[in-house]
Amino acid sequence: MDIEAFASEWLHCDRVSSYLARMVSHTRTDPLLYANLLSSALNELLETAFAHHGPEGEFSCRVSRAGDADVIELDLPCDETALAFYSAAARRLTQPDLAEVYREALFAPGNADPHLGLLEVAVDYRARISIVPEKGNRLKLAAEVALEGAAA
Amino acid sequence: MSVDRSYQASFNENNQEFIIAGKLRPQNEADIKPLADALATSLAKVRGTFYLNVKRLARLNNVAFRAITTLISQVCRQRGDLRVEIVTSSVMGWSTRKFQPLARHLPNVSVNEYDNDFYPGQSFVEDSGFIPTLRNQTKLTWHHEKHLLPRHGLRPGMTMADICCGIGDFAVLVQKELKPASILALDHSRASLDYARKVAQDFGITGIEYVYGDASEMVLDDNQFDFVTCRHSLQVFDRPELILKELFRICKPGGRVYITNEKNSHCLGEPRAESIQWTYNEVARLWADFKMDIEFGPKSRRHMLDAGFEDIMVDSFMVTNLDGDPEGFADIIRSWEKVFIDKLARDRGDSPEFIARFRQGFQDHIYAALHPKGYAGWPIWAASGRKPA
Repeated sequence: MDIEAFASEWLHCDRVSSYLARMVSHTRTDPLLYANLLSSALNELLETAFAHHGPEGEFSCRVSRAGDADVIELDLPCDETALAFYSAAARRLTQPDLAEVYREALFAPGNADPHLGLLEVAVDYRARISIVPEKGNRLKLAAEVALEGAAA
Repeated sequence: MSVDRSYQASFNENNQEFIIAGKLRPQNEADIKPLADALATSLAKVRGTFYLNVKRLARLNNVAFRAITTLISQVCRQRGDLRVEIVTSSVMGWSTRKFQPLARHLPNVSVNEYDNDFYPGQSFVEDSGFIPTLRNQTKLTWHHEKHLLPRHGLRPGMTMADICCGIGDFAVLVQKELKPASILALDHSRASLDYARKVAQDFGITGIEYVYGDASEMVLDDNQFDFVTCRHSLQVFDRPELILKELFRICKPGGRVYITNEKNSHCLGEPRAESIQWTYNEVARLWADFKMDIEFGPKSRRHMLDAGFEDIMVDSFMVTNLDGDPEGFADIIRSWEKVFIDKLARDRGDSPEFIARFRQGFQDHIYAALHPKGYAGWPIWAASGRKPA
């Protein structure tokens, strides 16, 4: 869909994450539990994309399966401001004690840390996140999550 | 822009418990101001321990998480006497992990995953040695129930849920022989569900979704299923009305809920009837001491009416040593003897004299089951009710 259309309605994040998670989880060991976890992770990524993106262009969300893992790929338009945001996020995500970085962000006073959702997905859902700028002012945000047994 | 109001919040002053359920994914804190205000007002009213119950909170984003935790942090810093306990459920998968950093951040906050110790009977059925007994029980009861289920309204093509499915063998038998369109089988034992999935896979059974869940607070939508079963479970739960309420909720209007339960004091046998009778009367008392009502069977009608069902049907049947292999029946009694004596009676602190007499009744029941002219029985009540359309 067009990024403008996506970003015109906050509930898109919840609706897309809930629907997609339920659809792709039905062949998992515990479909409800898996959908619950996947929806939570996917929603944080969508909320991040909702808030940080370029002004115009196509936005796509692809979920594919690689064995035990699901790969979420968000492909979005990206201007200089958004690129700076995602580049800073990529640097933080490579820090050695990521759990501590996340905890500090979680309880930081004042406005919410804008990278909080990405940090949470990386720490709580043990996702491998990649942020890759692409040609034509675009960016691919991908997260590989292996959620089978994650709640047990 | 629209604001999603799909959460529910309430405060129980007697329990000092603030309950949030549903979904909390606001775009900004202003979207959940009513909730934040109610939480602040509730926190101001309590002394001692404040319980924040998020057992049925299915979704929570960081905006809402920060709004809640900022408020709790402020109050906890101002009031060193206040303790806050966050009550989560393992069923959600994410909530315990999400709130744990708050407990590490603030000394007077703790996180309690409430359902860890919730099911008193669960440890017995998670003992892998008990699985053959459970399978044997289902095999013997199926002999009767395969005829009863259609009478109680189960039809091919229906959507069905089997709540407290245990090791899942009943769901497999239903799927194979009575052909519902699909079965959602839910239990609170991961070990039992693992076993159930393996059995279904080994036998190439499809159409059954095994899910982890808490029968008293299910994360399932309202009005989903044509036929809901819950077997031998209300009797091992200290608040059966909570489960019945949930069974009612997930059943479609016009659909039926089917339950089976026992009245253990009516187990019988010949010869040696008196000894058998004495022991099973004591079984009922023993379970009652552990807050479980193994006499629930004949009370099904009353409980179903109280829960709002109509058109109640009640059947009773006797599983006996003549239903198949008498050794199979005897094996069930042997496993009862083991569980009731080695776990429950010893935990209660019963005397050696009591235990000897108690054991004798089980031995006599086995004797009756295997005696060439003997008869041994285990009575079960099957009841169903319709959810008003």
